[in-house]
Amino acid sequence: MADVGDEGSAVSEPLDLVRLLIDEVVCVKLRGDRELKGRLHAYDSHCNLVLGDVEETIYVVDDEDDDDEIKANREQEIRDAVCDSVVLISPQSRPH
Amino acid sequence: MENGTISQGEGKDPSGFLSEIIGNPVTVKLNSGVVYKGELQSVDGYMNIALEKTEEYVNGVRRRSYGDAFVRGNNVMYISAD
Amino acid sequence: MSFFGFDTARHNPAATGFSQTHNPFAGLSNEANEGEALDFEETYDGLGDQLDETDDAFNDDTFGGGSGVVSKPVGQDFDFFGQTAKVANAIEEEAVRFSRQLPAIKVAQSATQSATRSAVQSFANTSAAGSSYGYASQPASQPARSGYEKYSQEPVGELQVDAALWGVAPKKHPPPAAAPAPAQATAPASAPAGRKILSLEEVEAQMRAQAKKPAAPSPAPQPQVQPQVQQQVQYDQGYQYLQHAQPQNVAHPDHSRPREAPQHPGQGHPVPVTILQRPQSRHTPTAQSSAQPVPHQQPIAHQRQQPSATIQPTQILQNPSRLSGDAAKIGIPLHPTPPMSHPTHPVHRQQGSFSRHPHMIIHPSQLGQLSEEDKAAYLDQEAKRAKRNHKIFQMSRDNGIMTPQDKNFITRIQLQQLVAATGNPNEHSTDESISEDFYYQVHNQIQGGQRSHPSQPLNNFAQTYLFQTGSRQGGMRRHNRGPENHMQRMEQQVQRAVEAAKNKPKNKQLVIEGSLGKISFSNAKTPKPLLNIKRGDSAEVHRPGSAHRPVHVHGTDKKSELRSIETVYSTLMKMEDHERHMPPAPIGDADPEAIQRMNDWASEAQALNHKLWMALRVHDRPDSNGVHPFIALLSYNKGKRAMQRIFRHSTQEQRTTILTLIVVNLDNLDVVRNAQVATGDMQLNAAMRENVELFSATVMATLFTFMNELELDLVAGVLGLICTRNVDIIAKSRIGASMLTMILSRAEILKHSARGSEQAWRSWDATYTQFFNLLEPTLPYVFPGTVNTGDDVYVWQLLAAIGIGASPEQQSRLVLAVKDRVMDTVALSKTLPQDLAAQRLQNVNLFMRSIGLDVDLLD
Repeated sequence: MADVGDEGSAVSEPLDLVRLLIDEVVCVKLRGDRELKGRLHAYDSHCNLVLGDVEETIYVVDDEDDDDEIKANREQEIRDAVCDSVVLISPQSRPH
Repeated sequence: MENGTISQGEGKDPSGFLSEIIGNPVTVKLNSGVVYKGELQSVDGYMNIALEKTEEYVNGVRRRSYGDAFVRGNNVMYISAD
Repeated sequence: MSFFGFDTARHNPAATGFSQTHNPFAGLSNEANEGEALDFEETYDGLGDQLDETDDAFNDDTFGGGSGVVSKPVGQDFDFFGQTAKVANAIEEEAVRFSRQLPAIKVAQSATQSATRSAVQSFANTSAAGSSYGYASQPASQPARSGYEKYSQEPVGELQVDAALWGVAPKKHPPPAAAPAPAQATAPASAPAGRKILSLEEVEAQMRAQAKKPAAPSPAPQPQVQPQVQQQVQYDQGYQYLQHAQPQNVAHPDHSRPREAPQHPGQGHPVPVTILQRPQSRHTPTAQSSAQPVPHQQPIAHQRQQPSATIQPTQILQNPSRLSGDAAKIGIPLHPTPPMSHPTHPVHRQQGSFSRHPHMIIHPSQLGQLSEEDKAAYLDQEAKRAKRNHKIFQMSRDNGIMTPQDKNFITRIQLQQLVAATGNPNEHSTDESISEDFYYQVHNQIQGGQRSHPSQPLNNFAQTYLFQTGSRQGGMRRHNRGPENHMQRMEQQVQRAVEAAKNKPKNKQLVIEGSLGKISFSNAKTPKPLLNIKRGDSAEVHRPGSAHRPVHVHGTDKKSELRSIETVYSTLMKMEDHERHMPPAPIGDADPEAIQRMNDWASEAQALNHKLWMALRVHDRPDSNGVHPFIALLSYNKGKRAMQRIFRHSTQEQRTTILTLIVVNLDNLDVVRNAQVATGDMQLNAAMRENVELFSATVMATLFTFMNELELDLVAGVLGLICTRNVDIIAKSRIGASMLTMILSRAEILKHSARGSEQAWRSWDATYTQFFNLLEPTLPYVFPGTVNTGDDVYVWQLLAAIGIGASPEQQSRLVLAVKDRVMDTVALSKTLPQDLAAQRLQNVNLFMRSIGLDVDLLD
């Protein structure tokens, strides 16, 4: 185990969490009420992401009432998310 | 906020505080006003944050929950220990 | 808002830079071709956004082409700015005084046309500026009217140059109204002082003021008609601008048109909307389109003719946001229409009403004619429009204030600042900082060279900028040098930035003693660490505070599993890389160095292999749930996918161990345990089906290849292991069944090839019998779904593998166990289309033939 334990048994820095999500379906919240859901192929330390089988969701927030409404769904094979707009990355669901 | 945690960290810099509260429940507020509550897994120098058992609050209303969540540091307004 | 920090109020909005001209020459033909010119204007509806600015750097060339011939004569010794600046104050006063005098002048001056001036008055300042640059130095030399045409063109050249400062070629140049008058000397000078963008409100206010002057007749919108009349005023082009611009100026037409119309019935000249006087670029296109078509609105608006002619324009102009679409809606042709018609509709209107309610001007007169409903609707609409216009106004306020070229330069400035920020050792004194201040330099230069140190050269950017955009330093135009020049400068700047960055010690953080944390220089794109968080002993340091978090030493929690997989992958990549760097095999013993290299490489490979093996956690103990960590890794897709590569980089022993481990945990695999064949028509969910597929394609395929190299003793051993597990669970899953088929087939192949010792075969037979006994009760239930479901070929394959190795007694037990399914399938196949039926029967026959039977015998 000693060798495996290189980096400790848990997430030792936040980006490790992203690393663990490679090849998993992730949900990425972006600025501007947008969300991407797709398989994480690659990332870098700036959180530039390469996603596959992406579904993009744009939430339109009406000022009057807070109802979120899905305005657009776009699907794309591969999509780069530019680092600047990334707010949050999370696994979409646990496999088990 | 646990005063105890903070007083422990007195005389240290913020990273000391952050190191100490790792593993504890925290509240993270983003610049957008969205609040995340969860267990702090880790923080790095960019204020990137990994949270566990995360709940998202928008305008005080619970919206979603995430098992794990990575928050990009530039969005973070503050991290507070619960 | 202003780009250079000047007072934008003094900037001539009519300058072409603001209107984003496409065709620098369009203006030249203005006089002759007004209709076209107007059409051309229409194309501005898209504003500058559609412009391709990419080649703006060559504007000089372009202009040179247009006015190059005349530009030489213009001379190289211009000093517009110096002169202008010197007399700036005087000019301003002059302008003011002039405006006061206007009524009088006008009377004195001449006929009807002169009247126009008064209303225009306020604009004189504004618009004169447009051409003033070019004129300032020249006026005296110009003879009265004779040289006029030429003259008009020369300034165009200059004008364009100036305009280019704003990044665009001049749009149109209004034909000069008249020969330069004696007043010229002062007139042009007044321009810079007086030029100013008037807000809508200001314009209206001024108009009102003018309107109240008893003597002030309305301005004529057709200045060209009687250019001479306008003499007394600034005879420069600015005046012309003025006149043209009027229609666009929101509230104008009401005043000017109605008044002058009757006076000059014969005016046939369309008013070319040449240079737009617009405080906001956004408004321009609107104003243009709406201003022109005025006369045509009359028929549509069912109102008194006279007012309508003027009213409509007002209305439209007051709603500048209404684009040409609006005009079209009310039937206004979009192409320019000469305002011929309006002279016939004199307007009788009280000025007062205009001024008091700019937006309501029309209503008093118009509304009277409307029904109540219409009125309400109209008012409502009007209110909406006003609101919308206001919004658009707000949004568009600063549109077009910077051209792409300007922005381009800003980028360069930022680059320069980067040099400064990273500490260019060359610049420290304050003088230098001023000399390097682009804004300061350009501003100064434009304002007329009030530079405190005239001898001091302009800084690079200022020079480049001024030079490239038309060189205010007296018409020196070396056409080809512009782009080169700034490219060179750019390169220099980059070089300096790089050097400065190199020279400077890395200092990304500012640590103030006793402060909390550090101040670091960062931005969103390249964040710098804000905190200095210690790492290293992370695993230990992390957890002390977390009483509620169990520490997973042999963790099989998700994260440690994922981490293991990541380690596996990174190790695999290293191994594959390492493989590529294998040194050539040493030849003989002669080359100790080569041998050494080989040994090093081998030991490195060994180390990597060990690391991989550790990451696979094959030797870890199962967690509390009894799930082995290695098996847990296989529950991840990326874990499954790694299998083939893992085998390629493993020793035979390791492979055997992995096979054994998988077989021993076969009933613990999620693809076995959670993928039991369902009774009835229920199917596995899509995710699990996908999982099973992937497992088959990766892990099973790998194991199959491996198993086909195994000897009988190992095969028997594997089967023996399976007998220690829940055979029923294994058999009732697709993966499990495939595994069994694989093992039994291998044994059968070995049997056919007559390999293996007698001892081994005895051992195998014993194991097989044990296995058969364990499996038999389950056999009727290993089929997925009902007979209708189909998709059971793998089961028939398993049965075939079992049957072929079975004793005759076992075979009959086998038939007994599955005969229902056999019969059902045969029965079903009779109801199926031929193809499908044949397929199903063929599947059954896999089994039947293994025991020497055939489905045909059943009929």
